[in-house]
Parts: sequence; structure tokens; C-alpha cells
Amino acid sequence: MTTPSRLDNQQMAQRVFQELRPGSAVALGSGLPGLVAGQARPGSQILFLSEGGGLGYQASAATAGQGQTVVDSGGQGVDLIPGGSMLSTIDVAALVRGGYAGVVVLQPAQVSAQGDFSHWTTAATPGLFSPGWAWDLANGPGRVIAIMGHTRADGSANIVSQCTLPVDGAGCVDIIITDVAVLRVGEEGLVLEEVAPGWQAGDVTAITGAPLILASNLREMSFEPVVAEPPNKVYSSGLAAIHDLPQGATIMIDGFAGLGGMPNYLMVALRDHGVGGLTLISNTAGVARVIGFGTPPGRLAIDHSILVDNHQIKKAVASFPVSPSPSRPSSFELALQRGEVEVEVVPQGTLAERIRAGAAGVAAFYTPTAAGTQLADGKETRVFDGKEYVLEEALRADFCLIRGYKADTLGNVVYKGTSRNFNSVMAPAARITIIEVDQVVEPGELDPEEIVTPGVYIDRIVLRPPDFLGYE
Amino acid sequence: MSDPRENSGSTVAKGKVYPSPEAALADITQGATVLIGGFAGRGRPEGLLRALVSNGVDGLTCICQGAWPQSPEIMDVAELIANGQVRKLIAPLGFYSGSGGPVAAFWQSGEMDVETVPPGVLAERLRAGGAGLAGVFLPAAPSDRFLGGKEVRRFGDRDFVFESALRADFALLRAEEADTLGNLIYRGSQRNWNPVMAMAGRVSIAEVSLVHEPGGIDPEAVITPGIFVNRVVLQAD
Repeated sequence: MTTPSRLDNQQMAQRVFQELRPGSAVALGSGLPGLVAGQARPGSQILFLSEGGGLGYQASAATAGQGQTVVDSGGQGVDLIPGGSMLSTIDVAALVRGGYAGVVVLQPAQVSAQGDFSHWTTAATPGLFSPGWAWDLANGPGRVIAIMGHTRADGSANIVSQCTLPVDGAGCVDIIITDVAVLRVGEEGLVLEEVAPGWQAGDVTAITGAPLILASNLREMSFEPVVAEPPNKVYSSGLAAIHDLPQGATIMIDGFAGLGGMPNYLMVALRDHGVGGLTLISNTAGVARVIGFGTPPGRLAIDHSILVDNHQIKKAVASFPVSPSPSRPSSFELALQRGEVEVEVVPQGTLAERIRAGAAGVAAFYTPTAAGTQLADGKETRVFDGKEYVLEEALRADFCLIRGYKADTLGNVVYKGTSRNFNSVMAPAARITIIEVDQVVEPGELDPEEIVTPGVYIDRIVLRPPDFLGYE
Repeated sequence: MSDPRENSGSTVAKGKVYPSPEAALADITQGATVLIGGFAGRGRPEGLLRALVSNGVDGLTCICQGAWPQSPEIMDVAELIANGQVRKLIAPLGFYSGSGGPVAAFWQSGEMDVETVPPGVLAERLRAGGAGLAGVFLPAAPSDRFLGGKEVRRFGDRDFVFESALRADFALLRAEEADTLGNLIYRGSQRNWNPVMAMAGRVSIAEVSLVHEPGGIDPEAVITPGIFVNRVVLQAD
């Protein structure tokens, strides 16, 4: 009897690729996962993320070491695809912890029947046990795919009942793709779902160190890429983009001072959409309308006030909820005096930091801002190195309406001047983020080094009509 | 050390621009904690590392991606370790066993400690330090090897662990271009740890290939604002 042949690394990578869907970020660890980027096809729009900061890359067309400035998680040179962008280590960490890498691919040395794993670099550094980035990836919210040899060179099993190597993450692995099989980590144990061509279930069971449950639809692995249409993010109008924004939602809307950086067109759409009971998180609760800030005489700036006047706002979480001028009270201020709305005042830097925490998967932080003031009333305080700090919790929203200058159709955004303000910090902090821009361009038209908000954070794009004015 | 956020007023430096890596590192002292940028050979401040080796200061705590001995012509944190200057290495992937060379030797002999940290946690601790926070609550992983007696607290439906903010005496950075005010832009994966380390260093020194006058870099393209950078040295790639 001859032993059936095992898959080569490229075939394993092809099988992993079948699990991926266009439009989301897929984080690839070092080792075998690096091969998955080589499976990308033009237009597949899978945005591979490397520890080296490339978001949206493919295997390099150039000879290794020849001029590539972007590296994958294993340090190999790669090329950004049109619409790719560059991130720093802290940006990568925030993206992964914030749940924006929907899938992560790792190479464990061992996986247990419960989905515990030990990373190959942990196995390769006895006594030091360094999982590196794999720890962050596996313990983040993304679905975890393991790509690995089914056995070691000496024939011993890598899929085991209990890990014998130090565990880098417990219960993390969701699916295991090896050179002989595909296994799913189920509630009741490991489920054998697919076998490599020529392999029988019994062949796989014989070289596995844990019991396997045979799937009712056990099948042979295939390697053809699954074709899926990338999501279309460009919407025809503001109303179309916010059609499903529900009653009672928590929304973030950017704005600083006057006309710069407010999504005025989306604000009008939200007014026309008409839902109420909204909690608004924003820098101001609408002061441009009363202060003017460059609005032509006789015209009124379109700001958050139009939503207050339309009785859509229940509560504002803001730094400047009221007008700076007592003689010119804002709509929100008047509604507050009438007892129609609630307010939570948050110092501006704390507001930005709370939103950033929400985006980056940080639950809370200690800040010195507001310690010893009324704004700290009822909040936990703590002394570090003789200085008092206030515990502040993260903020997230259901919907976020922001304003950019240019977006490509993947949602990569650049801003212009002060209009950046809260936009870039809010964009990653909502379930659905909608951006209003002055120009929509094709992927590749924005310099990847200059993209401020990567497209993974943007769900919907609306072109602000060229004749639309930020006042009425 | 005087207030490190103030420019040193050194007679040899012109504003923030120092004439050499050696001059930019002249005031580093024994036992300093040093952040060093770099990932997989990209964005590593080789001129500053060389200057640190020739300076000879020891007892250093180095925080970086790792130390990988490579070919002799490539300057890496490993050279600092081989020179006996590092007391502790804090890194996501300190070195590979079997190819650790002097790094492994110093670790095995007990002359140097190595602390393994997940890079996402390290980055967030540095950011907190740079942003003036005392610490952050990050998601706790089940059976967390890196928990080590830290405070765990529940927010919503899951546990989070308190990670204290981290700053360092020096940050040694590599960028592509700077202006004389220290505004920085990077090229590709060179970016990696450099922006967050720039925030967390009390004295942040950037080694760059090109120095412009202010206005020479598109303000929308600046990644690290000059406020975070105390010293700039010109060093060809």
C-alpha cells in the first residue's frame, strides 16, 4: 500500500484563500501564511495586512530584495495593490484589536482539540517562547485559520488532544488547514471536514493525536478560488447611504468650528430620513449655525442644530454642547433648557481619546484631564506617581457620519486642512461609517503613504454634490 | 537630565539638526532605557546604533522588535548586545533560537534578561505613554501567558487587563525625510515602530536620508509631527 502524497505549501495556501472574502482585511502571520498573499488575483480586493504595516498587498513581481519598500510579516518584500496603504505598528495593533481584520491566518506548531495553539516561533525559541504578532492576532476578534503541517518531520502529530508546548492562545483556532485535511474546531471536538485528494478519513485519523469526528458531508479538498464580488461602497445619495439608520441609534458626527469638516450633506439626509431618539457623539452639538464661522450674511450654517430642531436628538455627548455666546443660544442649548434633551460634557481631548479607545479595542484608560473637577464627579480616580488620573471608558457608535476630501472606491480617505479633526478618529469607531467626500477616485490614485483613513474603516461613500452648499 | 522636551541648546547642533549620530547621542547615560525602531531590517536607525556601540554606554534596557544577528555589515541591536551594553531586552521576538548568536549567548549566561511582549500590547503601552495616559485596559486573553499578576477588570461582557503606560529615556528612529523642525515622513515598511516610539521617547532622535527646510514636506503627508522629535541626524541609507 502506498501512502498518498501530501499537499504542497502552495496548495495549502490555495485552500486557505477559499476562506477569504473581498473587502475585508486579512492579517497574515509569518511563515506559511505569507504564501496566501501569492494567491491574490487582480480585482479580488482582499486586503492582506502584514506586521510590517502593508495593508492591501500581493506577492512582489520584483526579484526579492530589489527595491521593495514594503515587507510582509516574515520580512519578505511585497507590492502594495492599487488601494493599498501603509500603517505603523500602533495602527496595525489598533486595527486588529478593533476587529477590522475579519480573518487572521497563523502557522501554529501545535493545535489542541479545543483550539488552543502554540505558535511556530514559540516552538522555535525554547525557554524564550516568543509568539510575536501571533499572540495579538489569535487573541483578537478575527476568525483564526491555522495553516500547518499535519505532522512533524519525525511523524509525530501536530494536532493533539492537549498542547505539550506553551499555549499562546486558548480556544483561539477556528479552522485548521493542513497538508492532508481541513478540520473545524467544534464545540464537541475536532471535525474532519475535508481530506486531501487520495486520502481516506482513516489515513488522517491515524496521524492525528486527537479524536476526530467525521463530518456528515466529508469531502475531498478542492483548490479553485471562490469568486465573490467585492462590496460596492459608493452610494448614489445621502439618503440611500443612511436608509437603514435606525430610531434610537448612537451616532457620531464630526465637526470643528464652522464649515470645515462637517458632513453637511449627510446631516441634511439624516434630517430628511427623520428618525428620532438619537444619541449624538460629536465635538459640538451645533454651534456653527448661531456663530456663523464664515457663513455668508443672511444664511444659516447646516450643522447638528438641524437635527435638534427636527426633534431627532435625545442626548449629546460633546465637548461644546452649547453656544460660546450667551446672547446667541444654540438649538441644543434651548432644547436643554426646555428639558427635551440630555447632555454629557466631555473634555475635547478625552472625547477624542474615548473614541480612539472604542476604535482600537481599548476598554478604558486613565487620563489626568479633568481630575479634581466637576467633570470627574462619579468617576473612578487613581493616583499614579503622585498624580491623579480619571478612568474614562471607550465610546463606540452604531453609525458614524464623517467628511473627507477624497476617497477611492475602496474607501481610502485623505482630508484637507482642519477638516481632518475628529473625522479620522471617528471613522474606525462605528459599526457603519459613512463618508461624504468632494471627490471619488479609483484605487491607486491616492498615494498609499498619505492615506489617513484606510478603506477597511469606511463602509459607504457618498459624493457631496458639487453644487451643495454647507449653509441654507 | 534636564527637561528632555526642550531642545538641548547644544553648541554643536543647529536647532534640532545634529552634525552626527555621535553628537546626537552624546548625553546618553548608563542604564538608560532606549526604544529602537525597526522591523525585519526596515526602519532601523543603523547610524545611531553604530554611534551607540562606539559610545560604549552600558546597562541599557532596549525595547525593540528583536535582535537578529545577521551579516557583519548590517548594524543591528545584536551588535549592542554583543558589545555587552544591554542589560535587558524587551521585545516581541527577541531572537530565534539556533540563530541567536551573541544574543542567545548573553541570555543563556544570564548577563542579559529577555522579556517577551506581544507587539500590540507594547505598541499600546508606548502610545499611552506618549499621549499622557497612565495606562489602558486591553482585552485579556484566556490563559494569558503575559498576564503576570496584572489587574483584571470586567467591562461589558469580557475581561480586560490593565497595562501601564511606558516611556523611555531615548527613542532611536529611522525615517526617510525630515525637516529641520523634526517633521517626519517614512517609506513603506520603514514606518513600523517609529511613529509610536517617537511619541514615547523623552529624547527622540530621528536618522533620515534627507533634511528639508520647514515647508519642504507636504503638511498633509507628515506622519510624525516635529513636536515629538527632539533631534535629527542626516545619515545616508
